Amino acid sequence: MKVEVFGSGCPRCKQTEKVMKMAVEELGLNAVVEKVTDMMAMMEKGIISTPAVALDGEIVLSGKIPSLEEAKKLLKRL
Amino acid sequence: MEGNLKRELTKFGLLAAGFLAFYFLPFSEKYVQEAIISGFTMLGSYAREHVLFCLVPAFFIAGTITVFIRKDAILKLLGPGARKIISYPVAAVSGGILAVCSCTILPLFGGIYKRGAGLGPAVAFLFSGPAINVAAIFLTGNAIGWEMAVIRMVAAAISAVFIGLIMQSIFKEKGSGGFAIQESGEQVSWQEAVGFLALQMAFLIVGGLKIDPIVKASIMTVSAVAVFIMAIRFKREMRNSWIGETWDFAKKILPYLFFGVFAAGVISIALPQSFVESLLGGNRFGSTLFASVFGAVMYFATLTEVPIVQSLMSLGMGKGPALALFMAGNSLSLPSMIVITKLLGKKKAFTYFGLVVAFATIWGYIYGNLLQ
Repeated sequence: MKVEVFGSGCPRCKQTEKVMKMAVEELGLNAVVEKVTDMMAMMEKGIISTPAVALDGEIVLSGKIPSLEEAKKLLKRL
Repeated sequence: MEGNLKRELTKFGLLAAGFLAFYFLPFSEKYVQEAIISGFTMLGSYAREHVLFCLVPAFFIAGTITVFIRKDAILKLLGPGARKIISYPVAAVSGGILAVCSCTILPLFGGIYKRGAGLGPAVAFLFSGPAINVAAIFLTGNAIGWEMAVIRMVAAAISAVFIGLIMQSIFKEKGSGGFAIQESGEQVSWQEAVGFLALQMAFLIVGGLKIDPIVKASIMTVSAVAVFIMAIRFKREMRNSWIGETWDFAKKILPYLFFGVFAAGVISIALPQSFVESLLGGNRFGSTLFASVFGAVMYFATLTEVPIVQSLMSLGMGKGPALALFMAGNSLSLPSMIVITKLLGKKKAFTYFGLVVAFATIWGYIYGNLLQ
């Protein structure tokens, strides 16, 4: 599974990346958390508020920092 | 690795700059001492006058907007099918709700441009977004004056519509596809959210009014208590993210702002009055144009434009150039110009920069000469 965190590099986005990584680790998933900072990529995906999270290309969260619980819930849904 | 190297180089650059400054500045000279004292004096006055009753409530409001106010309704008005008469004005004023911090402006701009209402509304949003936010308006009002705060907001919104329309009529680019909006399910009703926001606004607005201190204190106490009661009744998760976002704004903005205030205090001594007057003085066309260009190139961290303009005005900068500096200073900076050029391409980007400088100059000139 691929977990992408979209964001310009602001503190909120870094926090989101950290939370997603922690969630992946705690659930013991075999997933890579990747940070995407390219504005063009965000534009193409129609992301308008960062931080945003995509799982295998599908955007599941946008505009807020997930809590660890939320992040786990998102990851489990797959 | 590359990012790491860059970061280390930045650190090295900062340390080296600090070293050189400490090495060469003649600290025993009286004017250097005075400038430093003036920096701290200005910090003192900001700490006393603006932090508790203006900035702190403004951060809470920004946190509230981020967490409680749903944005999809507004975003629908900026979607690909939106009518002009709606999309432009909405884009020009929605910055206050959609983008409470400058780092959220660019993604929204990109989204509106490519997937939403197109280039014109996107540009309108990009221009006015940073100027129309609660913290900027109230800090300007408290520190410089309400006339400037209001004209700053109005001028930004109106120019945004025109700049957007001009860009659209030159380049004719429409967006398509719609946005990817993903918001977690509502945890509070919209009535509750609006009430919560209104109470905090009341606290902020009344805090800035010059009215009977007893009336003022009682309204502020009542609204603060009401906010507190509402907050403890919210679900724990909501309350935590509200406080978290608020803290995030404070963390992100205050250090730069304090530094900016100190710098503003220093320049109010370090820059000779005659120098400021010759470049930015009065309401001449030349000084207004200079203020626009300076504002467009110079980088101001969120809110730091306020103390800087305040200092420059005390050194003789006219109202007109001050407005021009606000307008261009918020919308553009050298770093943001580079990003915008990457996103839009050279032709569109430079047209936009030109329009920003032109509109800032025109507004500044009109304001400076009509209201004297």
